[in-house]
Amino acid sequence: MTLLRLELLRLRAQPRVRVAFAICLLGPPLLGLVLSAQAGLPRDTLFGRHVKESGLALPLLVLGFAGTWALPLVTSIVAGDIFATEDGHGTWQSLLTRSRTRAEVFTAKLQAAVLASLTLLAVTAGSSLVAGLALAGDQPLTGLSGTQIGAGRATGLVLLSWASELVPLLGFTALAVLLSIATRSSLAGVGGPLLIGLLMQLLSLLGALGSAANALLTTPFAAWHGLVRDDPYYGPLWQGALVSLVWVVGCLVPARRILLARDIT
Amino acid sequence: MAVEARGLRKAFGDVTALDGLDLVVAAGSVHGLLGPNGAGKTTLLRVLLGLVSLDEGRCEVDGTVGGFVEAPGSWPYLTGRQNLQVLSAMDDDPGDVGEVLDRVGLADRADTKVGGWSLGMRQRLGIAAGLLRRPQLLVLDEPANGLDPLGARQLRDLIRVLASQGLTVLLCSHDLTEVDAVCSDVTVVSRGRDVWRGPVSQLKARPGRCLLTTSDDARARLLAPVPLDDTEVGLSFVADTAAVDRFVLALANEGVAVRTLEREALPLEQALVELVS
Repeated sequence: MTLLRLELLRLRAQPRVRVAFAICLLGPPLLGLVLSAQAGLPRDTLFGRHVKESGLALPLLVLGFAGTWALPLVTSIVAGDIFATEDGHGTWQSLLTRSRTRAEVFTAKLQAAVLASLTLLAVTAGSSLVAGLALAGDQPLTGLSGTQIGAGRATGLVLLSWASELVPLLGFTALAVLLSIATRSSLAGVGGPLLIGLLMQLLSLLGALGSAANALLTTPFAAWHGLVRDDPYYGPLWQGALVSLVWVVGCLVPARRILLARDIT
Repeated sequence: MAVEARGLRKAFGDVTALDGLDLVVAAGSVHGLLGPNGAGKTTLLRVLLGLVSLDEGRCEVDGTVGGFVEAPGSWPYLTGRQNLQVLSAMDDDPGDVGEVLDRVGLADRADTKVGGWSLGMRQRLGIAAGLLRRPQLLVLDEPANGLDPLGARQLRDLIRVLASQGLTVLLCSHDLTEVDAVCSDVTVVSRGRDVWRGPVSQLKARPGRCLLTTSDDARARLLAPVPLDDTEVGLSFVADTAAVDRFVLALANEGVAVRTLEREALPLEQALVELVS
């Protein structure tokens, strides 16, 4: 627990983490204010046309946008840097010449990265929900099947939709951790998952992979679309969870092995 | 013994860093590690700190090891005190943060962020981080880097104090004045092997090349204990300090004036160059 506390203490002190936190907290309200002030609406964006009708549309608009690239970036800011930063600052020798083992340090850093990613996700979700309700009120939400969903049920669906992003987010966290450890570069750790995420999105859009696109880590980010309907379907959620789990294990096992075996030079 | 290492071998890909190196460091001594760049000194220190695994060999260290290799790392967005508090929390039996800050002369700046510190201050923070482990062996790699002359002198004084308190110090340095001032023993490393080890005084006593000008070079040749070579600026010869002393006295007794007598370099530097070349 002490190691985790220390990692969180250091994360809190880092300017880039503070900036990421501020963006997650202030970004959705600012977006909501801009949309409220505009005469037109982003009609070609999921839930964009309903932003002024119901405050519950804004968090889903933000979610659709965030799942494309913002969430991979946000998680990479912490997870992609948390290991490589020790190479950058030359502090591995300070950390690994203490009483704690490398395995303990790995676990604490991983826990801190996961916790930070979840916090940033929760802050973005909470901020966009509060901003939406404050700007447009809690009128019923028009779902993806075109019918109205009562405010109470819609709020639950919004929260469930955001919660469904947790699993692919953990997959990107694991990918960022692997890149951070393997490359020893913060740039690769932070930028790598973002680029890989965009590449995956591109492949999905081109339809070049067929059903193999289900194995991409970005696909589960859209699984919540099946929830906000009259006839909800959950298959993509379970499939996405399984795919994300495979990515998590596939990234963390080699990441741990590399850190435990590497020479600190 | 504080350190007893035998037959250490380590390669990084095709590059052999340690090639059967032996190192013996007596407990309570200040032991110097000398050698050219790329000799394997830093890899040896990393092995002692547990940062690098050995391909072959046996390395036994008596007690806890603290210290740093090359530039000591620190987290620039934390204060000096916070840096040490983080490390302190990772040890089972750490020293007192305030006390080690005081020992390295950083108590006044401890609550400012390290990002604004000079290289010399970071060096001291590295030493403080090493001391925080309450080590039996303190490993220091070029600790005087970035220190002004006064800071370097204070560092030497600190090393002497630590040694007097029973701490073993392994000092890797290119500053031979520093090594000469604080080390009792040295190990000279070249191409991954130890090529000489023993007291500093013995290393300094190794025969060194001298340049001599006299009032009568012909008679000087007859009195010389070793062969003399002619150079553009006078006579050149290699002899240890005792032989040089005898030669000068003999010249004086025979009425030959010694006009200049100088070694080509500092004795320690000269000895080192001859050992590793």
